[in-house]
Amino acid sequence: MKKLNQERMFNFLANNGIKNFIGVPDSTLKHFIEQGLKKKKILIATREEEAIGIATGMLLSKSPSLIFLQNAGFANSLSTITSLVQLYQFPLIFLIGWRGYQKNDAPEHKKIGKIQPELIKSLGLKSRIIRDKNWKECCNWVIAESKNGHTCALIVPREFID
Amino acid sequence: MIRKEAIEIAIKEIGNQPIISANGYISRDLYNVYDKHSNFYMIGSMGLASSIGLGVALKNSKKRIFVFDGDGNILMNLGSLTTISSQKPKNLVHIVFDNSVHESTGSQPTNSNLVHIEKIAKACNYNHVYITKDQNNFLKIIQKIKKLKGPIMILVKIQQSKGQRSERIKISPVRIKERFMQSI
Repeated sequence: MKKLNQERMFNFLANNGIKNFIGVPDSTLKHFIEQGLKKKKILIATREEEAIGIATGMLLSKSPSLIFLQNAGFANSLSTITSLVQLYQFPLIFLIGWRGYQKNDAPEHKKIGKIQPELIKSLGLKSRIIRDKNWKECCNWVIAESKNGHTCALIVPREFID
Repeated sequence: MIRKEAIEIAIKEIGNQPIISANGYISRDLYNVYDKHSNFYMIGSMGLASSIGLGVALKNSKKRIFVFDGDGNILMNLGSLTTISSQKPKNLVHIVFDNSVHESTGSQPTNSNLVHIEKIAKACNYNHVYITKDQNNFLKIIQKIKKLKGPIMILVKIQQSKGQRSERIKISPVRIKERFMQSI
């Protein structure tokens, strides 16, 4: 996603009820995170499961929360997602940067990137692929899902190589 | 002192204030000693009680939030201490019940007796750090900290429970969440 749209996306979510943005940095989501840091609304955790833990604590306090992470970190967190987020039915929003989406991405991302759609499917996690052309619609969707008490995910494919 | 005795002492002073308790026997003991709506029993996701506690503490700055952690749990999420340090929650009290074993899975060693968890907490800028293995001393510490600002850690060195098993939690996870949310 383009820089401008990532910034707009952060502002849109922050202005529409999402109070907490917690996560582990990812280059695909760089501009989203930088915008949040500028607004002093980002909490950086040491790893993804920790971020999920903090976010569930905030959700226990009725404060709508999003976590941002790379798909590798999403895979690290599978058991936390099943035994905390889904077991207790926390309406947490995931924003996932998808490395390994393109076949020529760096080697460490290839396998995990390839199975990303299957992981989401196996978990039974509601998700949408978010891009420049549909970001607003996707944001409205996660806001509505989270208000209705559902866990949901937005996945940002990395469509560039650096 | 065994964990259940330590929890009984802590509860005398904590009363109805919110507690986030780690998985395994820690949550089971708390449930058996004093079940209440403001107990959040984390029955899975090992390691994350301190992180959940941080999230609750940051959103409820006027309430004291207690975390009942274990040595195996905190060693699995040491990064949490640095994040707690970065956020400086004045209302967070982090109690670690340390028996140096994973008692819930059959008492395999955690190696917590080879390191100083209290020194790690100090290095992570916890405001007050205590270590005790004595019941009277633990009671004094938990009374004393009422007037102190967090983050506070109390490392309680305990004995293995040897057969005194608390029963499993009979409340559904969703109900645990809902009643905690209503209480806070």
